[in-house]
Formats: sequence, structure tokens, C-alpha cells
Amino acid sequence: MKIIRKVFDGLQPLFEDGGRLKTFKAVYEALDNFFFAPSARTPNAPHLRDPLDLKRYMSMVIVGLAPALLAALYLNGPRLLAMIIVSYMAGGAVEVAFAAIRKKEIHEGFLVTGLIFPMVLPGALPLWMVAVGVAFGVFVGKELFGGVGRNVFNPAIVARCFLALAYPRAMSGGYVAPGGPGRLLEWVGLDAVSGATPLGLAKQGTWMDVPLLDMFLGRIAGSAAETSTLAILIGGGFLLMTRVANWRTVAAVLGSATVMALMFCDSLTEVIWQLCAGGLMFGAFFMATDPVTSAATNLGKVIYGVIIGVVVMLIRNFTGYVEGVMFAILLGNIAAPVIDEILYKVRFRRLQIEG
Amino acid sequence: MNVGAEMWQGFVVCISAVFTNNILLSYFLGMCPFVSASREVKTATGLGWAVVFVLTSTCALNWVLYHWVLLPLGLEFFRFILFIIVIAAFVQAVEMLMERTSPLLYQKLGIFLPLITVNCAILGGSLFMVIRNYGFIVTVGYGLGSGLGWLMAVVAMAGIRQRLKTERIPAGLQGPGITLIIAGLMALAFMGFAGVT
Repeated sequence: MKIIRKVFDGLQPLFEDGGRLKTFKAVYEALDNFFFAPSARTPNAPHLRDPLDLKRYMSMVIVGLAPALLAALYLNGPRLLAMIIVSYMAGGAVEVAFAAIRKKEIHEGFLVTGLIFPMVLPGALPLWMVAVGVAFGVFVGKELFGGVGRNVFNPAIVARCFLALAYPRAMSGGYVAPGGPGRLLEWVGLDAVSGATPLGLAKQGTWMDVPLLDMFLGRIAGSAAETSTLAILIGGGFLLMTRVANWRTVAAVLGSATVMALMFCDSLTEVIWQLCAGGLMFGAFFMATDPVTSAATNLGKVIYGVIIGVVVMLIRNFTGYVEGVMFAILLGNIAAPVIDEILYKVRFRRLQIEG
Repeated sequence: MNVGAEMWQGFVVCISAVFTNNILLSYFLGMCPFVSASREVKTATGLGWAVVFVLTSTCALNWVLYHWVLLPLGLEFFRFILFIIVIAAFVQAVEMLMERTSPLLYQKLGIFLPLITVNCAILGGSLFMVIRNYGFIVTVGYGLGSGLGWLMAVVAMAGIRQRLKTERIPAGLQGPGITLIIAGLMALAFMGFAGVT
């Protein structure tokens, strides 16, 4: 560690004002922060009760994503790694550019966005589309609104919606079919692609052709990391236990989706099938729970979750789209500020009456 | 067509006008008040309800005038002028009513209330109902749905903009710029309802 510290200390003057590389000060600080936690202490009260700051918070999310990521690597092969690298590079470039213009440091928030985004894409999507998508998501979805913690919409969701509408054929056709004992050593090409996800099959009427166990373990065609319900539940459970993800949002999304599924389906197996299908689980645990773009009040989180769950099922059953989790979460993001606003007003009025 | 079936069709058209064919986010009609009156939730809600009321009523009024006066006389080409006159007169009435009943709201809406007259969403509603050959009940459903869709969009936008008030939006994009970008992203989300069957 000391060696790394020395290297950083030696390089620091270059990035200070007047140094040759001062444009890249943000990069330096980001790297510095990645290796060394800031060492400021609080001598007087109030003290921190929990060492969970923004950085550790993001690390928790990445740990929570790990099971789904490993499952995705097993099912989709090393091409996913390439997608992740491209996503980090393209999105990171936008991030660095804005940090340099704003003269602010780079936030860890992007580590999560850049990782989640390739995880919700079809495994055989061309790499340049990954780059275009993540650049659009970070630029329009986050940086224009002021950067990390200020965005109204989830950048990964914005990016995915953008790709789904801009390149519909690639986005609905590039799903990797499950193969043999996994695809760990296989670079998936177009020969491994299967256009039809279970939900796509269901839309064509061949309902329930895919066994429930395959749905649960993830041996189905689908976006990279959304297929294995088991892995998502493990990682999601970890997030719920560490309270990084709010249980109200998750419960509201899955609960309302279950109620809607009960109305549309004939048997209980079908309901569970619907819950395991598509991106519902992944969206509920990892994307709807984003603390920045979800509602801030507790009751607001429940309403926000119900909107998402209901819209997902409506889109699946009534529209031309096969799956609608991304649209549903984006709609939830749109509604969240108003929900909070109304709840604040109601509470304020009640306090006025009481006081 | 019997009344029951027409009521059902009216309901379906109403729902689809709120979500699938949202007059603001799918057709981008009525943008000017959407951009300028969406700074606060309260103002937006007031203006939104005014649009709901005016859109529904003028659609119904215009349907009656178009089908009972213009068509029998063979004066269909006259509809633009007639619709505008009806809308202007109606908005004037709403304005007077609002001034009496809710002076605060009237003050806040200011110039935007008379601007409803030239809100393209209102005229657009009346013209769409002619093009699509809606019956009377369906027209009322369509007007109501379009109005509610507009209200929903403008209130959501106001909520977002109220939250963004303190954020570091690039200087050149503050105000209308970021509003149009948000509107685009909202339209992106509403694309999810496309192709409702």
C-alpha cells in the first residue's frame, strides 16, 4: 500500500492548479479515492453512526449484483465481460468529460450504472451499441441533470429504453440461448442466438412451454443477468438485509405484480412463472430501488412500486411489447417526484391542523 | 350503433387517449403552456384541470355544431374558424368563472389562461374528432381522455421541475431546454404503451 501512496503523492503536483495535467484532476482524485478512503474524522458530535457512505453504499450494490453477474457469465460466456468493459469505457469518458468541465470529482455512482447496464442487455448485442447506449444514458439521463444523485431518471433504464426504440431488431433478437454445461469458455456469436424469450413464446400462444425450474435457475433465453431468478434472489436478499435496497419498493413491485398476475393467469404455477419471467425480478431488486430516482417517502415508495408492478403486467398482457419492466420503471421515475410532493403537502396540512 | 357499445368504445378511446395516444407526449400538441406553466405543481394542476374542462366541453360543443350545422349546410371547410370561435368564447367564460371563484389561481395562471384559446391541444382535439369520425359519446370520451392525459403529463413535469429547482443543470439548458429534454424522456416511457390491443 505504501508504494501506491508514494506514487500518488509523487504525481499529485501535476494535477494541482498550474500543473501540466490539471484538466485530469478528476481522474486523479477518483483513483486516489478508489484506493484510499478519505481519512477525515469528526472530533465533535454528531458522529457517524454507520460507516456506510456513498462509496461503501455503491460497493454493497456491486456485491449484491455479484451472484447475478456470475450466473450471467456462466450462461452467456466471456462476451459479457467485453460488454462491461465497453460500457465502463464509453460511460466513463462522458463522466470524466463532465467532471473536468465542472471541476468536480468523479463519483462512484457510475460504477453501478456501468455494470448494471450491460447486465440488462441481450448477450449478443453489438459492442458499439453498448457504447452508444451507455453514453446516451449517462449524458442525457444523468449529467444534464447535474450528475450523481441529482438525476430524475435511472440512467441505465434511459439507456436501455433508448436502445430498445432506436435498434428494436437487435434489442429483441440478440438473446443468447442456454447451451450445454454453460458457456464459460465460449465467445457467443450469432449462432448461439435465440430470438424467442419465454415471454416472447408466451405472446405467440405457446404458453408455459418453458418449465418452471428452468425459469428459476435461468436456463432460458433472455437479457444477460435477468434470467436466473435464484441468483437475483440471493443478491437481492443481501441488499435487503443490509438495507441498501428498501424492502417497501421491492415488496410493492412484486406484490402488485402478483396481484395483477392472479387476475390474468389460471393457475398458481403460471403466476410464479410470470414473476420469474423477463426482467421483473432484476428490475424490482436492483433498478426500482435506486434511492435517487425512486420516491423518498415511505408511503411514496409503496405507491411508486405499485405503479411499476401494475404497468409491467399491463404492458405484458395488453400491448405489442413482450416485456415492459424498463418502461414501467421509467414511468415510476416520472411519477416519483409528484407522489412525494403530494404526500409532503398532505402531511404538512395535517400538521397545520393539529398544531 | 347502440348506446351501450358506444359507451364502451368511448371508454376505450378515453383510456387510450390518456396513455397510448397521449396528446402531449405522442402528438406533442399543447407544448407552450406545458413548458411555461409547469414550474409548480399547484399552477400545473390548476391549468391542467382547466384544459380537461375546456377540451371536453369544446369537443362536445364542436361535435354538435359540426354535425348539426356545418354538415347539413355543406360548410365543412368552415370548421377551423367555427372551432376557434367556440373555443375562444368558452375560454373567456371559464376565465370569468375562475376570476370569481378562485382569484389566487387566476392570478397565478396569469397570461396562460387566455393562452388556452390558442393551445393547439384544444383545437387538435376538435379536429381529430372530425378526422376520426367519432360519434358524440366517443367524442366526449376522447376529449376527456386527452385532457386527463395532458393534466397527468403537466403535473408529472411540474413535480420533476420542482425537484430540479436546486440542481446544477448546465446554464444553457435551464428552463425550457431541460423541460424539453424531460418531455422527450417522458415520451420515451410512454412508448411502452404503444400498440395497445
